[in-house]
Amino acid sequence: MHASPDLLREKLYTSGYLADNELSTAVWLAGELQRPLLLEGDAGVGKTALAQALAKSQDATLVRLQCFEGLDLAQAAYEWNYSRQLLSFRAAETSGTKLKADDVFSREFLLERPLLRAISVTGPCVLLIDEIDRADEAFEAFLLEVLAEYQMTVPELGTIKAISIPQVILTSNGTRELSDALRRRCLYHHLDYPTLAREMAIVKAVLPAADTALVEEAVQFVQRLRGEDLAKTPGIAETLDWIRALHRMNVHTLTSDMATLLATLGCLLKTQEDHFAMSAERLLQISEGKRHDGVAVKQAAPAATA
Amino acid sequence: MTVSRSNRRRPPRRPEAVTDPMNLQPAQPAGAQMAGFAALLRDHGLQVGPAEQVAMRQAMAAVGPLNERHVRAAWRAIACNNLRDWRQWDDLFDRYWHPHKTRGTVKVSGQTKPRRDLRQAVEALRSDATSNQSKPGAPAAQSAGDQATRSDAPVSESDLSQGGATRAEALVQRDGQMWLPSELTALRDTATSIMANLRPTPTRRWRPDVGGHRLNLRQTMRKSIAFGGEPLTPVWMRRREREPQVFILVDVSRSMESHAAFYLRVARAFAQVAPVRAFVFHTRIIEITSLLQRDSAAVQEKINAVTAGFGAGTRIAESLLAFSRQHARAQLSSRSRVWVFSDGFDTEPPERLAEALSAVRARGARVSWFHPTHQAAFSNAMQQAKKQLDRTLPLANLHDLIQAKRVLR
Repeated sequence: MHASPDLLREKLYTSGYLADNELSTAVWLAGELQRPLLLEGDAGVGKTALAQALAKSQDATLVRLQCFEGLDLAQAAYEWNYSRQLLSFRAAETSGTKLKADDVFSREFLLERPLLRAISVTGPCVLLIDEIDRADEAFEAFLLEVLAEYQMTVPELGTIKAISIPQVILTSNGTRELSDALRRRCLYHHLDYPTLAREMAIVKAVLPAADTALVEEAVQFVQRLRGEDLAKTPGIAETLDWIRALHRMNVHTLTSDMATLLATLGCLLKTQEDHFAMSAERLLQISEGKRHDGVAVKQAAPAATA
Repeated sequence: MTVSRSNRRRPPRRPEAVTDPMNLQPAQPAGAQMAGFAALLRDHGLQVGPAEQVAMRQAMAAVGPLNERHVRAAWRAIACNNLRDWRQWDDLFDRYWHPHKTRGTVKVSGQTKPRRDLRQAVEALRSDATSNQSKPGAPAAQSAGDQATRSDAPVSESDLSQGGATRAEALVQRDGQMWLPSELTALRDTATSIMANLRPTPTRRWRPDVGGHRLNLRQTMRKSIAFGGEPLTPVWMRRREREPQVFILVDVSRSMESHAAFYLRVARAFAQVAPVRAFVFHTRIIEITSLLQRDSAAVQEKINAVTAGFGAGTRIAESLLAFSRQHARAQLSSRSRVWVFSDGFDTEPPERLAEALSAVRARGARVSWFHPTHQAAFSNAMQQAKKQLDRTLPLANLHDLIQAKRVLR
């Protein structure tokens, strides 16, 4: 555990994640109060990356539970290893030994899924429950016990308590309203798209070899692109992908080569409608910093005649 | 007339002695200040109870009370539960702990009309009823809030005043007022039946269901392993349906002043019976769902305060764009129903409204437009936006809402 939010911020930076003061304080506080942290924000703003960087900075085990529609207990928490139980019965029959029910309903026969694994880890652990808004409400209700008490009840075994409390990070893209009960158990942080300066710093931290001029131009372009009416707004991940691609293609400045920009646009725009809406002319306008097509320029008022 | 005031809504029970949270001493004033701050947060819809206050104290002790930057961030993480809370945090924090920073930021232009809460309105209605009984042929009573704005509702007003309308007129057909408990109950019942009437969107996916009619062979086989291969526990499933998500957008601009109260009541009824998200807009848009879900007279005062601050021009297109791009960005889909309560008078170029509605529809949402008159909306913006609307419906009173039930699917 880190001594202060500033120290955690430095550790995250060395792990490749540039957090601002509010975010580092929220993450640090979640560890201090042993409360889960709910991160909300658009896709690609760095929610999942934070958990990965946090685990790296603490040298902790990262356990990830990717949520989806229809996720159930057997996939998220635990499941009995029936095949192994049957084999044990068969082996016992062959050898002539007697098996009791308790023998096959022990931890040895329990398949650990992410939630059980997270509370069974002996060392430091970061549990990432990714895209919780995709899971069903019933699963959310099940999570309440795990997140509040850091324990899990297996009917055949009893209650399993966490050996060491994992640091839990939940992420949500906001496609569904989460229940108040879950929200109240968590600390909350909303991650927005970064400012120009911060995004440049992030790119420079992740891709130090990229040209500074290219980074500045590319990040400015992406920031302007976010102001357009897009079906899928590019996040930081897309910015990094794009600049990485440009860097690999030995592009040094953006404005010099529109053909390269068009060729690599797939790193930023992920839907057909967005590609259709962003014509070459419009992209050129965005790269030159023009807001809208055909905006009238206000002329200076003519000097009053006597 | 322009009046500049330091802070129209003073924070409750704030002791004068201590002004900075970072200088708090672990004595009585600190507790009182914390309670006052929590009360202010609760007044603005943040869910801050005793548990959160304890956590806030722990956080302050952990980061150090002298470090305001960290205390502010830590308390924000504890007190905020959603994006709405998150966005208003800085303003609330500064308003309470640094009132000098917010001094002079609230400006009220023009003459403000008096607002009353629900109880006062009912009292006013009763007293009006008593005083007008001796005046045959007097126009139908208006609530206190509506009396000042009669000229804003030409159509509905004339309907009521012609033909010697009296108090014997059915309450459900009066425009712009839903004050009595029986009417509120009727409104809520109507909202419940409309929500029940909305058809869920079928999907191609299936979900486990004990009473389902289709066998999940894979899961059944999987479960049979626990019984040595005997399928003793068949797993049934049912087609997954996505419940419709309703968004209500209420226009509270000056042109809608006489109808906004009724529309907010309608929105509140829906928000209380179903997980509906409600917004108000004039030149900008703001979510009021959490305010509407709470049932108290104090909340009505807050809603009044919200609308009082709003009585300005209208930028419907901009508000709709902000709605589709920011507020409901991730939730707009084919299961979304967007209900706009507005007269359609926009100050932006007429074609902008069609563009904004097109952006909402591009995400698959169905848009219904409710206008406060029984005639179709005739503004230029509405004429151009007609093709982008699934339906336009009159909504001047509860009777109209009941009628709308038949077409809202």
